Amino acid sequence: MRLLICIKQVPDSTTRVKVAPDGTSIVTDGITWSISPYDEYAIELALEQKDNAADTVVSVISVGGPRTKDALRQALAMGCDDATLVTGEGADTLGPLGIANALKSAIDELKPDLVLCGKQASDDDQGFVGPALAEALGWPHVAVVTKVAPSAAGTEIWKEVEGGHEVWKASGAAVLTVQKSEKEPRYPSLPGIMKAKKKEIPERPVTGVEDPVTIEIVKLEPPPARGGGKIFKDGDVKAHAAALATLLRDEAKVL
Amino acid sequence: MDFDVPEELLLLKRTVREFVEGRLQPIEKQVEDDDKIPDAILKEMGALGFFGLPFPEEYGGVGAGDLGYCVALEEFGRTSAAFSNLIGAHTAIGSMSIYLGGTEAQKKQYLPDLTAGKKIAAFSLTEPSSGSDAASIQTSAKKQGDRWILNGTKIWVTNGPIADVVVVYAANDRTLGARGGITAFIVEKGYTGFRVGKVDDKMGLRGSYTGELVFEDCEVPEENVLGGTVGSGFRTALGALDIGRISLAAGAVGSSQHLLELAIAHSKRRVQFGKPIAVNQAIQWMLADSAVEIHAARLMVYDAAAKMDRGTRASTEAAMVKVFASEMAGRVVDRVMQIHGGMGYMKESPVERAYRDARILRIYEGTSEVQRMIIAEELLKA
Repeated sequence: MRLLICIKQVPDSTTRVKVAPDGTSIVTDGITWSISPYDEYAIELALEQKDNAADTVVSVISVGGPRTKDALRQALAMGCDDATLVTGEGADTLGPLGIANALKSAIDELKPDLVLCGKQASDDDQGFVGPALAEALGWPHVAVVTKVAPSAAGTEIWKEVEGGHEVWKASGAAVLTVQKSEKEPRYPSLPGIMKAKKKEIPERPVTGVEDPVTIEIVKLEPPPARGGGKIFKDGDVKAHAAALATLLRDEAKVL
Repeated sequence: MDFDVPEELLLLKRTVREFVEGRLQPIEKQVEDDDKIPDAILKEMGALGFFGLPFPEEYGGVGAGDLGYCVALEEFGRTSAAFSNLIGAHTAIGSMSIYLGGTEAQKKQYLPDLTAGKKIAAFSLTEPSSGSDAASIQTSAKKQGDRWILNGTKIWVTNGPIADVVVVYAANDRTLGARGGITAFIVEKGYTGFRVGKVDDKMGLRGSYTGELVFEDCEVPEENVLGGTVGSGFRTALGALDIGRISLAAGAVGSSQHLLELAIAHSKRRVQFGKPIAVNQAIQWMLADSAVEIHAARLMVYDAAAKMDRGTRASTEAAMVKVFASEMAGRVVDRVMQIHGGMGYMKESPVERAYRDARILRIYEGTSEVQRMIIAEELLKA
C-alpha cells in the first residue's frame, strides 16, 4: 500500500505570535517551525501501517518555500520513505484551494492508494485543504479519522463521532483527515535524523493552480490583554467561598 | 568561521530537547525518589539511538560525531544528571574505549548491542588507592594459558552495577609504569570471578548507579585483551577520557543554561518590595555573569569536539573545557540558588537537586587539579 501524507509547516506551538506592522501577517523572524500537530498524527497513523506491513510505502508532500524542506526532513527522520516539495514562485502565499489544486496535480502522478492530511492546520485552523483536495481529486473523504486498518475489501477507517467511533470502509482511494489519537506521534530516531539529512528531496513546480476563491486576510490583532484576576486574601474562608460562588454565578456565569 | 551548531545537527538537538522536555523532565522527581531510571524509558532511549551517538553507522551508531554527541549531551543536561551520567559513562568512556582501542572483530562483536542500548557499558579504572594517579593501579592481570586472570577491586564505577560489558584497566607489568604496563580487558557480566560489590550511596546523581567491581581470579579470554595488544591500555584510557571530559562539559553547559532560564523566569515572577526582583542590579549581575560564562564554556565545548571530529588531538582543550565548565557550573548553580532564595533550597525545587549534582563535576573524570596539571604540563613542555 502506498500512503501519502500532505503536511504543512507551521510556527511551533510554543511560539509567541506577534502581529507584524502590516497588520495582516505575523512576525516570522526567529520563529521555530514545525510540522502541524494533526499532520504529525497523520504521519504516525501511516507509519503504524508500515510497522505492521513492511511493504507499505509512506511518502510526504508539502507545498511551500525552501524552509518547508525542514518539515519534510523531520517526517523522513520519523520514518517516512520519501518526500516531495511542491515549490516555486508564489508557493508560500497560495490560498487553500490553490494548495489543494497544487497537491492534486502532484498526486495525479504519484498515485498513492490513500492520502492523509491533518484535520486542520494549527496556525489558521481552516480545515480546508483536506476536503478541497478530495473534491479536486474526485475521491471520497472521511474526516476526524483516528485509526485505519487494511481489510479484505479495502481499508477500514475509524472515524470519531460524539461519544464513540464509527467504522467506515473505503474500497479504493480516499482522502482521510486525521484527528488526534491516543498514540502520540513518535520521536524521530537519531539515526533516522542523520539518514534524512542525506536524502534527496525532489522538487516539483507549482502547477495546475487555480484558486477561484480569493481569501484575503483583512486584519490580524492580538487578543485583548487579560484583566487582572481577583484574589481573596486573608479573612474568613467561608465568606470568601460565598463571594466566589456569587461571582462565578453572576459575573462569570459559569454556574 | 561559524560557531553555531551546524545545520545538520539542529534537528538532532531539537529532537533531544523535545524528548528531554516531553519524557524525562516529567519523571525527574520519580527518578530522584526511586533512585532509578524506569526500564521503559531506557528501552525507549535505546530505540531512538541515544546510546550510540558518536559512533559510525557501520557499528549501529548514529554517526553524529563527537560534536553531535556533545550537542545531544548539552540537551540531556537540562534534566536529572542521572541521564547524562548513564549515557556519558556508557558512550564516551565505556563503548568509546572499545571503539578507540578495540580490534575490528571486537568492535563488530560488542558495539552493535552497545550502540542500540541493548547492553550497557562501563569504564573501570579507579581503585581504592589509585585515583588521579592512574599509573599506580593495583588490579593485576596475569597470563595463564589461553586466558588472563584478573585480581583486584575497582571502585566508583559509573554504570558498574548495571553494566553488561566493562572495560577494565589492569596492570600486566608494574615495572613498566602506565605506558606499557597497563592493559585494557573487555569483561562481560557473568564471567567467572567477576562480581558487583557495594553499590554507592551518593550526595547527588540519584538514579545513576555507581559501585564497586570485584575481580577474584576472574578469567578473561585472550581474545578480550582490548586491541589484542598487551600494555596499550593507558593510551586508550586517555583517548576515551578526552571525549569523556568534553562531553561532561557539554552536560554542564546544558544544565547551567537550563538553570539560568529558571532563574530568569523566577526573577521576573518573584515580587518583593512591590517589584520583580529582576529589576535589582544585584540579581541582574548574577544573571549576566552566568550568561557570559555559559557562552564561553559552550564555545569551548564546540571547539574541542569539532577538533576531535577533524582528527586533531585535543587533550589539552579537553582538560581546559572540563575544568572551566565544571567550575562554571558550580558558580552558576550557586547564583541560581541565591536568586531562588528559600525556594531553591527546598527538595521540590530542581535547583536543590542540581546543586548536589553539580558538585561531582569538579571531581570525576579527573579532578580540577588533575586538569590543571595536564594543561601546565603542556605549557611547560617546550
